[in-house]
Amino acid sequence: MKKKAQVIPPDAYPQMVSKSDAIKMARALRAPETAARGARVIQDAGQKLRHGVHDYVRELEAATGNRQVIFEKAHEIRGFAETAGLRATGRIAGGLCRYFEEMEKLDAVPDNAVIALHVSAIVRAAHAKGEANRAGDAVVKELAALVAHKLAETRSAIAG
Amino acid sequence: MGTVAAIGVKPGIVTRMSGPVFEVLRVLVVEDNQHMRSLLRSLLNSIGIREVHEASNGAAALDVLREKTCDLVLSDLAMHPMDGIDFTREVRLSPRSANPFLPIIMVTGHTERHKVEAARDAGVTEFIAKPITPQSLFTRIGEIVERPRAFVRCEGYFGPDRRRKAQEDYAGPWRRHGDTHDLQVQ
Repeated sequence: MKKKAQVIPPDAYPQMVSKSDAIKMARALRAPETAARGARVIQDAGQKLRHGVHDYVRELEAATGNRQVIFEKAHEIRGFAETAGLRATGRIAGGLCRYFEEMEKLDAVPDNAVIALHVSAIVRAAHAKGEANRAGDAVVKELAALVAHKLAETRSAIAG
Repeated sequence: MGTVAAIGVKPGIVTRMSGPVFEVLRVLVVEDNQHMRSLLRSLLNSIGIREVHEASNGAAALDVLREKTCDLVLSDLAMHPMDGIDFTREVRLSPRSANPFLPIIMVTGHTERHKVEAARDAGVTEFIAKPITPQSLFTRIGEIVERPRAFVRCEGYFGPDRRRKAQEDYAGPWRRHGDTHDLQVQ
């Protein structure tokens, strides 16, 4: 049996603000001053955020062998390390998350050595001074290459 | 959170540019990471939004919505005991929901396709991938206030219209009531 879908246009339900205020808000949100204030907020929060990242890194280290917890902690780190100014840390954690996700898609068990290498690199990067330097970028690239290799190996093994 | 003066912006400019219009907004931040909650609150404060409520998961957020009126929600996806997808579904579909049209921006590191689709199908209004930037947050809020989306109610879905763009060259059957003919859905 076919049923009609109902479309409710924006004018037919309560809006957050009036149209004239919406225009003012949108203009204010696009203003360079607004972006500058936002950037300053991120900068001011940097130290606190880094402490938060370090808390998660400690939990990540303590989760040895527990893949689910490692994935969850890596995910948290990926979510805000970069905002905290820890770019390499965030990217390494992001690489580890992608590895988990891809292996799940392949219905394969992640390699403990790959996980351990990422965890170790995250720990080092999170505490390194100037972690967003060339060395940090090199580690990110090398781990990404390792993940790509391992995934190719897994796909090949599945394909037989 | 620093005051306007503390972050080096002239108070007059803030008042003219964003303060008064944003002061009317009430926002709920749903996030299990305390640092992210605090950051989102500070970013919202920086554009003049003063009333920011917080919850650490979807169930706690529903409790807040029963007590407070909110105009906008920023929600994480992965939380316990109730995640952002179930929370969104409750807001959209529950008969007890105070405002099923409430704009919900999902702020998450879970950018896998199936999760994005699940969030969209639960009725999320906008999506922001972490790591968050002021620009990504302000752009999404701007989208919501400036271009509110139509809502669609059909079998198995109630939420913002999931079609982002009109397909001028679409040659298939009518799919929405607003396409000028009544939509027929299975």
